[in-house]
Amino acid sequence: MPGRLRKVSPLKNPDRPYYALGLEGSANKLGAGVIKHDVDGSSTVLSNIRHTHMTPPGEGFLPRDTAQHHRAWGLKVIEDAMKQADVSMHDIDCICYTKGPGMGAPLVSVALVARTLALLYNKPLVGVNHCIGHIEMGRVVTGAQNPVVLYVSGGNSQVIAYSKQQYRIFGETLDIAVGNCLDRFARVINLSNDPFPGYNIEQEAKKGKRLLPLPYTTKGMDMSLSGILTAAEAYTNDKRYRADAEPDLGEDIITPADLCFSLQETVFAMLVEITERAMAHIGSKEVLIVGGVGSNERLQQMMGIMAEERGGRVFATDERFCIDNGIMIAQAGLLSFRMGYTTPITKSTCTQRFRTDEVYVAWRA
Amino acid sequence: MSDTLSDWHTVTVRVPFASARHATIAKQVIEVDRELQPHAVKRLLVVEDDVLVATFTTLTVRLARLTLNAFLENVELVVRTIGQFGAEEERR
Repeated sequence: MPGRLRKVSPLKNPDRPYYALGLEGSANKLGAGVIKHDVDGSSTVLSNIRHTHMTPPGEGFLPRDTAQHHRAWGLKVIEDAMKQADVSMHDIDCICYTKGPGMGAPLVSVALVARTLALLYNKPLVGVNHCIGHIEMGRVVTGAQNPVVLYVSGGNSQVIAYSKQQYRIFGETLDIAVGNCLDRFARVINLSNDPFPGYNIEQEAKKGKRLLPLPYTTKGMDMSLSGILTAAEAYTNDKRYRADAEPDLGEDIITPADLCFSLQETVFAMLVEITERAMAHIGSKEVLIVGGVGSNERLQQMMGIMAEERGGRVFATDERFCIDNGIMIAQAGLLSFRMGYTTPITKSTCTQRFRTDEVYVAWRA
Repeated sequence: MSDTLSDWHTVTVRVPFASARHATIAKQVIEVDRELQPHAVKRLLVVEDDVLVATFTTLTVRLARLTLNAFLENVELVVRTIGQFGAEEERR
């Protein structure tokens, strides 16, 4: 039997340190970060600054207001990122920005600043796919070799695996993203959006005692979430629902904590199932969870149980890198740049729809 | 029905910059994105010395307001960016 050939990475160690500035603003989180790629092949986070557009409880964020927030805070966030990194814009090799996917107006607000800086300092621009940013940051922070990636956030829910210069989507949501489902339910029960709605759902869920039946909607490798959201919302109109009560198994009542608990358990079990399907399909033993929902510890725990039963393990990052940030854009952008990819200024548009498998992953074997 | 462009509405904005280079940068940055309704909004960006001249011809007055508003928001962001980072750029 011929020995397995170890594929040689096309990305060689750089002959000098490279620096990249990454700018992110596809949703309500505005981020800027500076990354350094050293001659020994290591990646160092020099700065990671983020400012979030927060809305009051019961309200979501709208494109116009989000774009206004990014325009107001963009320069301050970039200034802080450069100061903390202690590098000058002249030392930066490329300016990376989120090309998509995401919300149109906020994306463009950030792109305008990226283009201006690129022209002022005569630096190349690199347009980055937001999802690839999450994946590459997860890889470099956790050191996972070739994991099945579960990318779950407010805007995206995909199961991804790498093969031959492409991050291939194995399964995904057929309608709304997991984070979107959780965020919208948080609005219905009037949870605070600080620091982010999913965090408050997680805390509420810990108090829940009753597991209420909700639709379980995996569709093969994919899943559907809008029906679950409707069902969870319908429980708040149930005559047993008590908005202010504490969970009590003795009385026949439904509390917000019980609903949060039931919603999390159902949705996360679905995520574990479709991730396990992908693992079984490609024979992988590693799971990497990226995206804002990945910071949920219950999801990490459930995924861990499944992975261990298969003799594998789960990799996850903390909220610095899980939640949208600028450093992940810098990381993915610098990897592209070092393989010779740049975005000409006339093509530095933004797009709301940008599939993860549209990107040619030149930097991996 | 206004079929001819002469029935359309025109707005011209002149934005002065510190130098011709800065005005050209602003033009290059803003002209990348297409207008959301190219059939109802025509945009012309020209640099005259150190002034960015933007001329919008729109089908309705409402579109003139929306287009101009968006343009001013964008140009204001570019101006602020040049203002904050332009000085450091010249220091090399």
